[in-house]
Amino acid sequence: MNVRPVTISAAHRTGIHTGVSRVSLAGLIVMSTFGLLALLAPFLAPTAPNTLSAPLQPPGSAHRLGTDDIGRDVLTQLLYGARTSLFIAALSTLLSSLLGLLVGLIAGVFDRLGFVLLRVADIFLAIPRFPLIILMAAFLRPGLPTLVLFFVIFGWPRAARMVRAQVLSERHRAYIGAAKALGASHTRIIVRHLLPGTLPILTVFAVMEVQHVILAESGLSFLGLGDPTIRSWGLLLSNAFRFPTTFITDQWVWWALPPGLCITLVILALTAISFALLDNAAFVS
Amino acid sequence: MRHIPRAIRRLFCLIVSLGVLAGCGVAGLPGDSGRETVGQPTLPALTLPGDDWGYPSPFAFYARGPGYVRMSLLFDTLTWKDAEGLIPWLADDWTTSEDGTVWTFKLHPDVTWHDGNRLTAKDVAFTYTYFKAQRSLVTWSWPLDRIDTAEAVDEETVRITLTEPVAGAHDVLFGSLPILPQHIWEGIDDPLKALGEEVVIGSGPFTLAEYSKEEERYVYMAHPGYFKGGPRVSSLVFIKVENEALALKSGTTDYAAFSGKAIEAAKQFADDPEFEIIEGPGYWVLQLIFNTSRPPFDDVVLRRAVAHAIDRRRIVTQVTLDGAVVAELGVLSPETDWHHPDLPTYDHNPDEARRLLSQATEAAKLLPLTLIATAEYAREAELIQADLAEIGFPITVQVGDTGTLDGLLREGNFDVAINGHGGLANPAILESPTWPAMVYQNEVYRLIYEAQAQLSDDDARRPLVWQLQEMIASDLPVLTLWHPKMWTVYRSAKLDTWFYTPEGVGFGIPLAMNKLSFID
Amino acid sequence: MSYRIAQYLFIIIVLLTLNFFLPRMMPGDPISYLVGDPGADAPLLMTEEMRQNLLRYYELDRPLGEQFQRYLSNLLRGELGWSISQNAPVAQVILGRLRWSLLLGGCAAAIYVPLGIVLGAVAAWHSTTPAGPAILGSVFFLGSWPSYFLGMLFIVFLSLKLGLFPIGGATSTLSARSGVLWSLVDVIHHGALPCATLVLGNLPGIVLLVHNSTMGLLGHDFVRAAKAKGLRQRRVLIKHVLPNAMLPLVTMIAMRLGFLVAGSVTVEVVFAYPGMGALITTAGIARDYPLLQGIFLIIMLLIVGFNLLADLLYTRLDPRVRATL
Repeated sequence: MNVRPVTISAAHRTGIHTGVSRVSLAGLIVMSTFGLLALLAPFLAPTAPNTLSAPLQPPGSAHRLGTDDIGRDVLTQLLYGARTSLFIAALSTLLSSLLGLLVGLIAGVFDRLGFVLLRVADIFLAIPRFPLIILMAAFLRPGLPTLVLFFVIFGWPRAARMVRAQVLSERHRAYIGAAKALGASHTRIIVRHLLPGTLPILTVFAVMEVQHVILAESGLSFLGLGDPTIRSWGLLLSNAFRFPTTFITDQWVWWALPPGLCITLVILALTAISFALLDNAAFVS
Repeated sequence: MRHIPRAIRRLFCLIVSLGVLAGCGVAGLPGDSGRETVGQPTLPALTLPGDDWGYPSPFAFYARGPGYVRMSLLFDTLTWKDAEGLIPWLADDWTTSEDGTVWTFKLHPDVTWHDGNRLTAKDVAFTYTYFKAQRSLVTWSWPLDRIDTAEAVDEETVRITLTEPVAGAHDVLFGSLPILPQHIWEGIDDPLKALGEEVVIGSGPFTLAEYSKEEERYVYMAHPGYFKGGPRVSSLVFIKVENEALALKSGTTDYAAFSGKAIEAAKQFADDPEFEIIEGPGYWVLQLIFNTSRPPFDDVVLRRAVAHAIDRRRIVTQVTLDGAVVAELGVLSPETDWHHPDLPTYDHNPDEARRLLSQATEAAKLLPLTLIATAEYAREAELIQADLAEIGFPITVQVGDTGTLDGLLREGNFDVAINGHGGLANPAILESPTWPAMVYQNEVYRLIYEAQAQLSDDDARRPLVWQLQEMIASDLPVLTLWHPKMWTVYRSAKLDTWFYTPEGVGFGIPLAMNKLSFID
Repeated sequence: MSYRIAQYLFIIIVLLTLNFFLPRMMPGDPISYLVGDPGADAPLLMTEEMRQNLLRYYELDRPLGEQFQRYLSNLLRGELGWSISQNAPVAQVILGRLRWSLLLGGCAAAIYVPLGIVLGAVAAWHSTTPAGPAILGSVFFLGSWPSYFLGMLFIVFLSLKLGLFPIGGATSTLSARSGVLWSLVDVIHHGALPCATLVLGNLPGIVLLVHNSTMGLLGHDFVRAAKAKGLRQRRVLIKHVLPNAMLPLVTMIAMRLGFLVAGSVTVEVVFAYPGMGALITTAGIARDYPLLQGIFLIIMLLIVGFNLLADLLYTRLDPRVRATL
């Protein structure tokens, strides 16, 4: 294995560094814009979220992006959709990351407990999604928390695996041995030495997971398994898809393209941001 | 060191081999090589959209509508329907006894099966006996237990006796059971699992050349010796498409059926001379089902309050984009003879609704109530929720998939639900207006229903059917919302003989897919 | 080693139990579905007698424990049962769809894995020139769309408007044509757009990981040492940098391969492609217990199998990790 022990400063390990590339800055700006739009949606939206006017109107002065098949303003739905989609993705990812981090750290440090935890993670990974979403929709209260729970159930095993892999590699490094020799407790080693090293990979996970949740949520709506009372970008997009004329006319340009584009831009922006966090990070195996 | 890239290379090779193996396995499939085209080369080959509806043997097709149609292309019944109504088919003529229990059919001479054998009265007698024996597996035809005996009087005459008179038997029973070749079916004990080539040998205008379950494709070849006349098409191919309008526009298919708000798509073809559009009766209804077996919707006053509160016209305009008509409260379609022309209605009147609401039981105001629906009707649910909120009657909307909804309805574990069904041309559908929930228990209603189910004479039956509709409209176990309009768009150059069958094809399928379209 | 096998066996048993009971916990049942479709054109009332008959016919009337025992013993004999909603042997239904999912997913993976590695490494190596960011930018832009939307755009522009590809399906009706070569061309013609959609959607993940791993390593001593030794760029990249970057990638690929078989549902639906993903949805809606059990079994075996593979590869690739396991 062509790896030599390399000393890299703690600053680099946590991925903090001074120069932020222009790409990441652009990503940050885009995400902030979406975040702002999401927060200010009630003030920016031209109509109240449930008002109905004439259906399938092309873009005009009253409706900048036209109306959908039931007469709701597309721009309004887009703005409110930002709130919902971003919130769901952020919350799910946060919870998955935290849970995955916890489990991954423990599994990486304590071997026997680690085995058990890893098998539990495997089981969660292999749970069939379809019955689970149906069961959750049938037996739990409909709404956002149920959806977030659904994504966390499938998100944390991936995080745990990645964190554990990272911890396993780091464990054998000289500085860990040194810390142990100096009498550091397990907790101290985990928190002060191993934890920072996991942040880069956790960031990779977080970026991928947010992307995954946004796309998975829109996929659920597309298949008719989502909750139509949760007005997300995915719902707006899938409504456009379900309507038979959307793609044989030019309706798709003002109805399907905006939410699709928003989803894409958010995902792009997140990836760009991740570069700043990972640039020069020690990704030593 | 070296084994790292090797491991990756191995993984890569594994992936590629998996893919290639699967590809070769797929490409070398015997199932895909069909026979050569039979029939005159000048006749068009039609491609039609559709899903997998099961292997088209008389027992293996999926019991929902299009499955029966696929099977009906291969098999014939004693009677059939054309654009006007009932016509003789395999039976040239028939007589009924006074009490309506004994039916004697005179078969059309010289009808052959696809394998060349002659179709005789013995086959017909065998068919009815066999279906009766296997009735637990036949979920699409209900009066099978009323078949008493069936016997061949001579080569071309068969006598079928029923245990009691069955209303509409000439249509529902004798117009839907496909006649089976005895020499093939007499040895088959489990007809559901019989999936070989011999079980699709029928007497119909087409033979089955190919059926692929996973690709959801059917290939039918015209059978030139058909007793009713030569074919207008050389072959019919059903393929799976994701979007019927797009498939039609791209030239992949030659036909598309639209209903409800999908009619917007049909309008896209209205100005194109290549296509023609026909409109048909919408034998389908979307309705609000009340759980009349428990509070608060056991109170008819509350149900009437809800009826006044909901603006059904707005739902039709806003949600279905006028692709539907506001439904008649008696459930049966306004386009059938059974329809009661003068039913009470509940106009959209929020003030009246509030007044009735205040009269309703106290229970109505205490319980948190849920309206369940599938995602497809979430919009209707939201508008209804808004209408009810306006009169001060809050409900929450819960969306589930069809299985969940069905389960909750059958258990009677719901307050109010949005659900729909077809079969509106046949008064038999009135047996349980809240179907699939069985929550409406009204003794008078049940007696009237059973009385009319016995009458063979339509004129005697009609007043009773009207009474049933009056009861539904006044008692409101269901509040009907809309009937969809149904349009069929087709490429007229290939075939222009499409039509809608009054009261539906076979047992009531509202598609413009009658085999008469395909023959001269 | 045997300890590890025992662990995996335990997981499999837990998952088998889950796969048996989870579908049955969903509200609704397969018999109701047979006539219960709300869209049914002529719903006919199922009498209690008929319902009991059908339950008996499909062996669903036995107590749950007995059904579970029967399921396990059938499984040991390789019997997967009879699908209620599709009226065919479960094994046949699954196999018919599985081969298409494998084909589509396998070809996509065979393209996006090496392509992703190459693009990621090259982009990292050239991160200081415009080439690097350009590669990353285009990969991420194309791959960030919801896959069904991208697929639909392909259909609208390449199939509907330009007529270059079919609008969906896996093959055309081959009654006029036959022969292996034509079939192959036909399959490729139908599979091109869905495969492209899958490739574009999966590239960013691989590229990101490889790029970041490579970037992290590029500053290290051994790389500079190799460069100082005068080795050519590409040699340095392939022989020294890349292997170290591979480890997290192996985990990711192994996990993805496991999910490959579940199919990419949305892509399959948009292209009307006969894959496993779409089958899961229809089987689930129909509450087809035998079929669902069969499908989940296959998926579970594959996921667990690939996780096992990932673990094994990890041990081989990193000797320090091997010491602890």
